[in-house]
Amino acid sequence: MFTFLRVHHLMTGMQLRGFAVVIGLLLLWELSVRTGAVRSESWPAISTILHALAGGFRTEGWGAVFGSSLYRMTAGFLLAAVVGISLGLLLGASERLHRIVNPTLEIVRVLPGPALIPPLIFLLGVDDALKIAVIAIAAVFPILLNTIAGVKAADPVHLLVARTFRVPRRRVLLEIQLPSALPYVFAGCRISLGIALIVTVVTEMLAGSAGVGYYIVSMQYAMRASEMYAAIILLSAIGYLINRLFLAVEQRSIRWAHRVEAHV
Amino acid sequence: MSELLQVRRVAKTFDAREGQVVALRSIDLTVLKGEFVSIVGPSGCGKSTLLQIIAGLVPASSGEVLLEGRAVVAPPEGVVYLFQQYSRSLMPWLTVEKNVQFGLQNAAPERCAHFLDMVGLADFRARYPWELSGGMQQRVAIARALAAEPRVLLLDEPFSSVDALTRLDLNGLIMDLWTRTGITILLVTHDVEEAVYLSDRVALLTRRPAEVAQVFPNALPRPRSPVDSREDSRFLALRHELLTRLLQPA
Repeated sequence: MFTFLRVHHLMTGMQLRGFAVVIGLLLLWELSVRTGAVRSESWPAISTILHALAGGFRTEGWGAVFGSSLYRMTAGFLLAAVVGISLGLLLGASERLHRIVNPTLEIVRVLPGPALIPPLIFLLGVDDALKIAVIAIAAVFPILLNTIAGVKAADPVHLLVARTFRVPRRRVLLEIQLPSALPYVFAGCRISLGIALIVTVVTEMLAGSAGVGYYIVSMQYAMRASEMYAAIILLSAIGYLINRLFLAVEQRSIRWAHRVEAHV
Repeated sequence: MSELLQVRRVAKTFDAREGQVVALRSIDLTVLKGEFVSIVGPSGCGKSTLLQIIAGLVPASSGEVLLEGRAVVAPPEGVVYLFQQYSRSLMPWLTVEKNVQFGLQNAAPERCAHFLDMVGLADFRARYPWELSGGMQQRVAIARALAAEPRVLLLDEPFSSVDALTRLDLNGLIMDLWTRTGITILLVTHDVEEAVYLSDRVALLTRRPAEVAQVFPNALPRPRSPVDSREDSRFLALRHELLTRLLQPA
């Protein structure tokens, strides 16, 4: 108990110091403009940026900018999760199927998602369908590969237990192999969420008419640096929040994987 | 009593780096319906492999296992194998109750409660296995095995990783359950006292490649008590014989 408390204090101490570094860097930014060290249209003071940030909330401008981006990101990510987890379960459970499909997967996997935008425009146009497809393609692989690895990591003793009780194949897949894979699935999903956010912004920059990526590029063309930085800061905050939210869901869902064994 | 289980000239050969390893040379053993038989032998002689072959979990290289006259090629209905590693055999993501239900085709909660009650864990059904002590975890595994209502229970050193007192306690529990349910039990153990205390007959295996050296009938009368029976002259005589044979230099 005592050591636990001390470790806990140490961690909050570290976190405080970590945030102090962030604040310090922002202050340096502010000073660099206020002292006149940097004089540039493209380098506004952080206070000016924060002012633009607050303005966007008052006019509900951010809702319009980020709403469509978050919709596409969520749709692409969910598509990747559904495909990645179900395909991963099948390929993890069947060594033969995995060997047949693996070369195809490896070839598609090494392609950077945004490289697929031009050919996919022919198929899907330039609207949401295109962007969601590109996001899903880029985000599916960490989930897929982790699910396959997770299914294969199922304890052989659990599989033998299932055999001695003559548990049917489908139940083994859903009640042993899927739960065994969950910690891996969550780790893959967390990586994929990050990728989904990146690809969302990139697709909007390349083939966009809405969303935060399009907004950042537009503000840059319009020489409105404050709005551009404000969007970037908000993007960073949203990415951070999504990750924290996902970690909380993960910890609640697989409490058993973080278990501390009872001492006999 | 009728012959429930027949092991006929069962042999097992493994492929290893240094070539073929003969684990079991030729095993013959018959178990009667309702009997409690133990298999003891030097460590590494292939006792667990033999039990897994009987359970239909591992194929024999030659020979056959007959359950009520029918050849065992896959895990047969009515035969349940209890694993040595309770901490790995229970699913950590399922509660105690759900673990007990796992072996059932249609899970009835009352039935789970009944078997958890039998092993003295009625109050722990909502807990997770990793919240329990080792002895309690093995009780959950026993309840799970019993809930499937097997005719034959195969026990693979089920008490080898709990402390000595818990072990005696679990021995008593198994003997009690055996008496109450009338199932047939085949126990693999390296503990001679456990084998003598529990069994009707004890089969002694030789070193690898294993054969049945001798099957000893056990004259120790029932009902048996955990302290007195272990001081009975018949208990001591069989223990003496088995230990002497086991400790003989190769």
